[in-house]
Amino acid sequence: MSDARIRLRDKQMVSDSRVKPSGSALPTWWLVFIRELADLWIGGKALILTLIYSLVLGIMVYVLASSEELSLIPPKELTYEMLKNAMAVSLFIGLIIGADSLSGERERATFESLLLTPTSRSQIIVGKFLAGISFWPAALVIAVPYLQVLAQGDEILGPTILWGGLLGTVLAVAYTGLGMLASFWSNTNKTSYFVSLGLYILFLVPAQLPGRAQTGAAGQFLQWVNPLAATNHFLSKHLVNYEPLSLYWPWLESPVVFAVLVLGLLFLYAGPSLRLEAGRSSKFWSRLARKVGLAVIVCGMVSWVASTAMAFQGVQSQDGDLQISIDAEYRVVKTGDKVEFNTVVTNNGTEASHPLIVAMNVINLDAKGEVVDPEDWSPQRTQYMDTLAAGQSASQHWIINTILDGNYMVYMVLIPAPVSQETTSQPVASSGIHLTVTPFTRLNPGGVLPYAIGGPIVLLACIIVLYRLRRRQIDAGGSK
Amino acid sequence: MTRKEIRRMTGSNAPQISRSQSLLLAEDLRKSYGPRPALRGLSFSLQAGRILGFLGPNGAGKTTAIRILTTMLEPDAGHFVVDGISSEYPDRIRRKIGVLPENLGFPKNTTGIEYLTYFGQLYGRTAAEARTYGQRLIEEVGLQQRARSLIGTYSHGMRQRIGIARALVNDPVVVFLDEPTLGLDPRGQQELLSLVQRIAQERKVGVVLCSHALSEIEAVCNDVIILLSGRVIASGSVSEVVGQTQRNVLRVQVPSPSISKARQVLKALPNVMKVAPTDKVAGWLRVELVDMADGGSSKAYHFNNKLLGALIRAKIPILGLEAEGGRLQDVFLQLTEEAIQ
Repeated sequence: MSDARIRLRDKQMVSDSRVKPSGSALPTWWLVFIRELADLWIGGKALILTLIYSLVLGIMVYVLASSEELSLIPPKELTYEMLKNAMAVSLFIGLIIGADSLSGERERATFESLLLTPTSRSQIIVGKFLAGISFWPAALVIAVPYLQVLAQGDEILGPTILWGGLLGTVLAVAYTGLGMLASFWSNTNKTSYFVSLGLYILFLVPAQLPGRAQTGAAGQFLQWVNPLAATNHFLSKHLVNYEPLSLYWPWLESPVVFAVLVLGLLFLYAGPSLRLEAGRSSKFWSRLARKVGLAVIVCGMVSWVASTAMAFQGVQSQDGDLQISIDAEYRVVKTGDKVEFNTVVTNNGTEASHPLIVAMNVINLDAKGEVVDPEDWSPQRTQYMDTLAAGQSASQHWIINTILDGNYMVYMVLIPAPVSQETTSQPVASSGIHLTVTPFTRLNPGGVLPYAIGGPIVLLACIIVLYRLRRRQIDAGGSK
Repeated sequence: MTRKEIRRMTGSNAPQISRSQSLLLAEDLRKSYGPRPALRGLSFSLQAGRILGFLGPNGAGKTTAIRILTTMLEPDAGHFVVDGISSEYPDRIRRKIGVLPENLGFPKNTTGIEYLTYFGQLYGRTAAEARTYGQRLIEEVGLQQRARSLIGTYSHGMRQRIGIARALVNDPVVVFLDEPTLGLDPRGQQELLSLVQRIAQERKVGVVLCSHALSEIEAVCNDVIILLSGRVIASGSVSEVVGQTQRNVLRVQVPSPSISKARQVLKALPNVMKVAPTDKVAGWLRVELVDMADGGSSKAYHFNNKLLGALIRAKIPILGLEAEGGRLQDVFLQLTEEAIQ
């Protein structure tokens, strides 16, 4: 209908018959919460994010079940991995929802109307926060069928849901609050999303480091102080290794402290000082925040690479002045795949080495399996080198063609050439590559395919039903 | 009124100012963003049922003034009172004011009635009360046929109307409208301004109307404040402000073949200092008169009649007659130009 068709009509102005507030209205934080919840879930943003979340879980469960086909990873470990990934994804979504909560309203110019009401700023924050964390319970419920199919009847399912729900709630509170803090200081979503992404990576990267980079006092401290890594560590020890809780309670300190800190900042600082604009000098601070966010992202990536390199260093053989390291720990491939890796030979001595030989060996880990003929597996099993000066390194590239399915260990031996006919030398071995070769991949590994595909489809159906119900409600005269 | 007097009036034991008195009193409001002053001493009062226009070019300080008066910004100095409540109590002031901010955004997936019900509840009404009152407001702004449509489907004009309804949801005593007609077609502008007038008169509220459109300020406002670079360069009733720059210049339009004859006729009249054609094709003549301020407006009107009579007697058709400087637009352009110079 055009404006022209709407005419002002002679009507009684309502001023003479004003409706006075009865004074029995609901608390405003509840009103804001309900409105935000409706905007989030009926408006479509949370539904779309939920759909994406279920798709990601579907892909994850399929990949994990494919690994399970190899019987390498026990169900409890698969279930834990699934929970860990589900938490990581849902926390990210919670962070994004929090990051949109205030700066998004500023950007859409809907914030001023809310601030112009007598609602206290703190109650606005409470309402928005409660709506923001509403994603986590939904995420947990959606994850349950996936966890169930991976658990395959194992008793781990109950504790996984219990502890995952409990610790996930603590982290969801902290991450959503963190996103809201980023949003509190941002005038635009671009800035708040950037800062949030930087913070997310900052917390995520240490939790994804290779196992060896997480050992040692410094590594352990970094894990302990990182709420996500500490939670994962606790869950891993309790759910997978059945370690007694009393040994790992301290690992819950950082997530709890983190959540309390974020909530304190949010409700005691951000709430009372909530303003229409994050600051007049917003351009400067926005640029700064984006640069800091970018720096954090870059640092996160660099530290991940550096830590991986550290892990790489950690697998070096320490036998004598000569070392040989290998850049892989394990691989899962199919028969017929080509596997490539590198080795690095380093002379840590003070004198030049003798000529060197590097030999590759492959053994079958299954005692009853077929004996490996390395010549079939690699076109070049041996590489010869000249002398290596003190402190010098040389790298070698290797290729393996996987012939048979099974479990294999690939390892390298560095052999200094003997000085004379009457002498011998001390070979140095590298760490091995645990090579798992699968015969084929079934289309429906572990029977997870219905869950992987069905989950998103069911959610999509729910979204369509909700949309139609909303349309019907509007057509019938709006919500009562 | 001094700051001390305002404070005394707004103390806990002070009586509330009645609606027949000033609903809004502002005294020496100042605000700077860093080294740049945005508002340099704004003082005014607004009575019930009157519409005050805020005029000024971009960056004049209009939006800053509105944001201060609606408690969205704190002034660096100065004070204001809304219906007897001091600006030191912003939460209480928010219960007394209604605001349509410039470029207000709306939730797209909410219907008009849901939107008003929600805001009504935020002002302390129950859901049923808020819905009833929201329904009546929607009728008041002429949107009853679209009350249950999603706001996302509303045209710009409809959104402005629902915005005005939202501004009235708490039954305010002062309503602030920041560029309410921006982006509307002429009919939409006209209808919205009529609505604003009705609201002011029938609800007996004070309205602060912030606009670039001089004609609409002139058409609906009782009082006007012209701001430039944060400074008040003119204030008072519209007629007073227009009168500030009366230049005793008339513009007469005659058929272009008659322009020479008309010039001779007009030159012969008493009190005429100079007659010059400004647009020979269109037939416009600029007639400068001697200063008639001592005789008041009746003398000026009397002379206008004499001028018209002389042209009629000379059988020269009169296509148009207007007083230069007699419109708010002329005043605005002149004052802002002078201030800039």
